[in-house]
Amino acid sequence: MNNETMNNKATLKVERVTKRYGSGTTEVTAVHEVSLSVAPGEIVLIMGPSGSGKTTLLSMLGALLKPTEGTIQLNGDVISALAENRLPDIRLRQFGFIFQDFNLLSALTALENVAIVAELAGIKSNAARHKAASLLTDLGLGGRLNFLPEKLSGGEKQRVAIARALINDPALILADEPTANLDSKIGHEIMRLLRRIAKDQNRSVVIVSHDQRIKDIADRVLWLEDGEFKEMTVMATDPVCGMAIEQTKAAATWVVGGVTYYFCSRGCRAEFESKLSEK
Amino acid sequence: MIRLAFRNLFQNRARLIISVGGVALSLLLILSLDAIFTGVEGQVTAYIDHSGADIFVSQAGVRNMHMASSSLPTSVETKVKAVPGVESVTPILYATNMIVVGEERNAAYVIGLPTTVKAGGAWIVSSGRSSPNKKGTIIDRGVAEKSGVGLGDEVEIFGEDFKVVGLSEGTASLFNSVAFISRDDFADSRDSASVVSFLLVKVKEGYSIESVAAQIESLVDDVTAQPRSEFAEQERKVIKDMSTDVIAMMNLIAFFIGLAVMALTVYVATHARRAEYGVLKALGARNTHLYFTVLIQALLSVILGFGVGLVFTLVLTIIAPLLSTSLALAISGESLIKVAAVSLIITGGSAILPIMQITGLDPAIVFRK
Amino acid sequence: MYDNNVSLAIRNLLKDKTRLALSIGGIALAIMLILILDGFRAGMFRQITAYVDHSTGSIIVAQEGVNNLLGISSILPLGATSTVKKAEGVADAVPILSQFVILDLHGKKQPAYMVGYSPARGGGPWRLAAGREPSSDREVVFDRVLAERHEIQLGSTVEILDKDFTVVGLSDGTASWMTSFFFVRKTAAEDLLLAPGATSFLLVTIEDGIAPEVVRDRINRQSGVNASLKSDIAANDLKLFGRYFSAPIQLMSGIAFLVGTLVVGLVIYTATVERRREYGVLKAIGARNGLLYRVVATQALIAALSGTIIGVGLAFAVSEWIMAVRPQFLIVFESFNAAQTILIGLSMALIAALFPARMLAELAPAEVFRK
Repeated sequence: MNNETMNNKATLKVERVTKRYGSGTTEVTAVHEVSLSVAPGEIVLIMGPSGSGKTTLLSMLGALLKPTEGTIQLNGDVISALAENRLPDIRLRQFGFIFQDFNLLSALTALENVAIVAELAGIKSNAARHKAASLLTDLGLGGRLNFLPEKLSGGEKQRVAIARALINDPALILADEPTANLDSKIGHEIMRLLRRIAKDQNRSVVIVSHDQRIKDIADRVLWLEDGEFKEMTVMATDPVCGMAIEQTKAAATWVVGGVTYYFCSRGCRAEFESKLSEK
Repeated sequence: MIRLAFRNLFQNRARLIISVGGVALSLLLILSLDAIFTGVEGQVTAYIDHSGADIFVSQAGVRNMHMASSSLPTSVETKVKAVPGVESVTPILYATNMIVVGEERNAAYVIGLPTTVKAGGAWIVSSGRSSPNKKGTIIDRGVAEKSGVGLGDEVEIFGEDFKVVGLSEGTASLFNSVAFISRDDFADSRDSASVVSFLLVKVKEGYSIESVAAQIESLVDDVTAQPRSEFAEQERKVIKDMSTDVIAMMNLIAFFIGLAVMALTVYVATHARRAEYGVLKALGARNTHLYFTVLIQALLSVILGFGVGLVFTLVLTIIAPLLSTSLALAISGESLIKVAAVSLIITGGSAILPIMQITGLDPAIVFRK
Repeated sequence: MYDNNVSLAIRNLLKDKTRLALSIGGIALAIMLILILDGFRAGMFRQITAYVDHSTGSIIVAQEGVNNLLGISSILPLGATSTVKKAEGVADAVPILSQFVILDLHGKKQPAYMVGYSPARGGGPWRLAAGREPSSDREVVFDRVLAERHEIQLGSTVEILDKDFTVVGLSDGTASWMTSFFFVRKTAAEDLLLAPGATSFLLVTIEDGIAPEVVRDRINRQSGVNASLKSDIAANDLKLFGRYFSAPIQLMSGIAFLVGTLVVGLVIYTATVERRREYGVLKAIGARNGLLYRVVATQALIAALSGTIIGVGLAFAVSEWIMAVRPQFLIVFESFNAAQTILIGLSMALIAALFPARMLAELAPAEVFRK
């Protein structure tokens, strides 16, 4: 939806961002004039079909990709205009990434996977390990600190990834299909965890996912299709011919006793009307 | 990042073995070749070092023994004796020949010793006579064993039969050994009654060796007189000069072998981990962080390879003399420094491709399924 | 079916240009090394036997107990020359007096083999690049390559055993990195070695129609001498000198082969690992292990063939450069023929293909369905 209210206190402000690839006849617009703002402590869920541009949008939000047009602001800094050599710092301190495939470093233990990100930010090795240990313990992984990723379950790996995402105290958490590789029970736990982090620690969270269940924890749900935010379409069934139609695109409607019926054509509505008056 | 380099390196055993093995092999080649030549250099001067002579007097222009011949008229002996500071003069005859036992042929420096030997005789005789009698010879024990002969057996030198009357130690090198016969027998076999090859001079107490040598040269015509240390140095130089180019060529080959293996394994290792490096970039690591990791990984491999190569060479230095008394290896400081430098160059060179790979790595790779 | 192998193999190989370059490069370098090392060995042998190969006659007579030309000093008993000449079947016996000497050139010790001969009778340089043979006792014919390395020209003075000699000729074919040959008059050599009238060797030419072995045996009945066929002398010299360098050279060749194989093996292995899924798919749709082996082997062979061809080219180029920069080294490619080289390249490839092939054999088709 392109008429999001621009909140000046927003952590993340995305203004008319467009991403085009290629040129001339092979030009492809992956994201078209998308605008969005996310407040501290807010959880935004972006859903949409494959190829809708969700990944491209997420990459741009995380400063992994530069938009062709438009601006992305984080806490007032225009990160979309920064030079390449300033970006690693932003990625390190302002964002926390959570991936569908966990993407842990296979040669490092859980503790080391989290600590290394802190060390990259300049924290001394001992302090980094300390911080990592307490974060992991908070997330219930106190007994798994020295395990390699191959020895961890899916849920444990994602929690390590979450710890890694949090260790440098980022303003914004970006999650790409965080529950896709987890069974439903664990997926639930991860979702509740993300909600807790957003609310208790006042961080912004943007989640990209197919998973309908995440709607339960999200403050806002946005639908990205063909590179643009759209109204989430609601489907209805024509009671006469049984056809499935989009509510907004119904040819005819009829309200009876507070219930709205949707018809594929005036013909079906006429038939419905006559059936009702027969009763 | 060091920890990461460590862990990444040891995670893949096969690649680790190949890279460390390749480096170890190439450095082993360089080290062992150097060790062989250093060993030979040490052995080559065994006779000179142990002769007990202070000065070697030779034909003018002859400054060493190996691959050279020296002839002086016997009259020179008296002239040299008359030089102030000269305590004793031992004339010896010298030629290279073969010790022949049946089909077994071993090259040897044959030394013809006079009856009174003040210098230049066998310095360690493990069995038998310490100086040769008529038609008797003292040969190196290792050579004797190799030829299957012992005290009392016959060997052929200069085409004539000699009886083995003594066995000496430390008189063999990779290239040849030393055999002692009497000067008279030598002269008979070679028709050289009126010549001597070298005069081994001992200097009186209180006289400086260098000045006596200089005196000999100025007072006696057509001779070269060198203090023992200088004579030995010239001898070593012959081996060194002859082998520098060959060693350089072999070193170059070994270097390229090590570089090729390292460059390839580091490239393959980096390529295999590009997804993880992409993740690190996405999480905020700079290129320099990743360059550092790759470099440390390469350095660790090379250090391990160096260690393995060095250990193997040390083992060789210990085993070689047990296999054959004539084979002696010695690792010199120069060699170690050279190999260390080569290792560093290999490390740097092998990191070039991976650094290029990392620079071109797009962090957005994290999202590619 | 075969076409599919090749095209699949080629497409897989070409997908990663760097990897392809590395695997071809690995083989090319290994082949180049092996060829150059072998060429160096062949050249070294040729240099060692240069004098014997080109000298007059077919028999060499040395002092009793000596059957080498190089490395061992030999002095024939007085009167041996005339006695040998008188033997039946001997057409001529040319005497030479020879000895290893160490020359000091530009502060470097240069071992050289001095041959004292009579220009009238033979036994001297077989090919002159410039100048003439010595006509007096203070003239020398010097090896051309050694002269070039030390900026010695016709007319220069060279010190031999503390005596000055004038270079009047430069000889070809007498160069070697271990020892070069130079020639003076026999009388000059006798003077230098303080051995008037001495002779080291006789170069014996035999009359037509008689077998050299017969004449050799006849001469050997005399005392104090040892006659050998030239070919035997050459072989003995090779044994004496070549032996010390043959082993390290063969060791290096072996290592080059090993490393070449490792390089290609590693590249193909990682290429195969990355394409695990594709191979799993092939298996799932019914491809047999044999087919997969062939794909991997074809990859290896393509790399091997291109690598071998490039390696041969490199070997020629690099050896030319080595000989230009260090003319005392001789690298000849006669003993290694094309078939042998290709065989080596192929075996490297096939061995390299073993591990990936093993891995493919154990690959479960269910790999396809793993996320």
